[in-house]
Amino acid sequence: MQTLSQILADMAWTGLAEKPVLETGATVFAFLAATRISRLGGNHPLLNPTLLAIVLVSIGLEATHIPYETYLRGADTIHFMLGPAVVLLAVPLFRQRAVIRSSARLITVALAVGLPVGILSAVSLAWALGASPRTILSLAPKSVTAGIAVGISEQIGGLQTLTIVLVIMTGITGAVLGPIVARLVRVGDPRVVGLTMGIASHGIGTARALQINEVAGAFAGLGMGLNGVLTAFLLPIICRLF
Amino acid sequence: MLEQIARVMFWLCVGEVAARSGLLPLPAPVTGLILLYAELSVRGKLPDDLGVLADRLLQFLGMLFVPAGVGVIAYLDILKTEALPILAAVIGGTAITLAVTMTVASWLGDATAKSPAHESFPHEGALPDADA
Repeated sequence: MQTLSQILADMAWTGLAEKPVLETGATVFAFLAATRISRLGGNHPLLNPTLLAIVLVSIGLEATHIPYETYLRGADTIHFMLGPAVVLLAVPLFRQRAVIRSSARLITVALAVGLPVGILSAVSLAWALGASPRTILSLAPKSVTAGIAVGISEQIGGLQTLTIVLVIMTGITGAVLGPIVARLVRVGDPRVVGLTMGIASHGIGTARALQINEVAGAFAGLGMGLNGVLTAFLLPIICRLF
Repeated sequence: MLEQIARVMFWLCVGEVAARSGLLPLPAPVTGLILLYAELSVRGKLPDDLGVLADRLLQFLGMLFVPAGVGVIAYLDILKTEALPILAAVIGGTAITLAVTMTVASWLGDATAKSPAHESFPHEGALPDADA
């Protein structure tokens, strides 16, 4: 009688079970499909391609009974690219260096308010409603662009995967609420609206701000980048104080 | 192009050495981002290939979060049992952040700022649909 390990070894030999190409391919196709679906829906913020792709892959894993660990080992090639991609965020930031200089005061004020309020409002609401410490730590970097948030979450003792989903939920929330809140508080300056949406809801908010106009989009990208870098600096230090 | 890939990997590796040795409390890619930005500032210009590389890779940045994000199926229980605090923190917290930041920034941040309509800042590439 064949043992389980022999069966697995056979499958590896035939090339399907242990080769990373299957998981990587499935992820690429899921994201491609998600992008198409999102475009069909007019790029509505609720149809976020990353979120859709996560749902598609999750359904696939459930259906095929492939454990998450096996999938992650296979899709590691994609996961790896996140590091270089975050480093490359320096490029769009560098392209906007003139904007940084010309609106330094506005940017400083928005970050000085938005960064701490973003963390404290989330953490205190979750704490008051009885969330576990691990969930609170996973929530703390929720406004930061996912590539950076994952690193922060790991550093302060949160759950990386939970943080990613919370980050995406925050992005979608900010993208939907941003223009509505701007109307409510009677702020029409596209620089302020964009900057705030980038600080509060990173790339998904930035994508929405780009739909308002180019100025809002540029400031949103700036808010996202600076907020991400500064939060990575400050959050581990704040956490050490408590 | 290979030179630019090497450049990115170099700063990423420096970031990792700084993180692993406990020198900096920063995720390695963030240190890499800062150092690459610093290098570009010193040079004063962006190598063409590096711009192309960034635009290409950041175009599907959203896909790179999928493998880690799928891990949430392992934490569905947390999401279910703590649904109320999580939703309150995400939706309430984001609404508060938006309202407070917009109000204060337009009130305090505007005094010296010029209207952007009269400025011609270089706007080659707004951030791509970076997603998350």
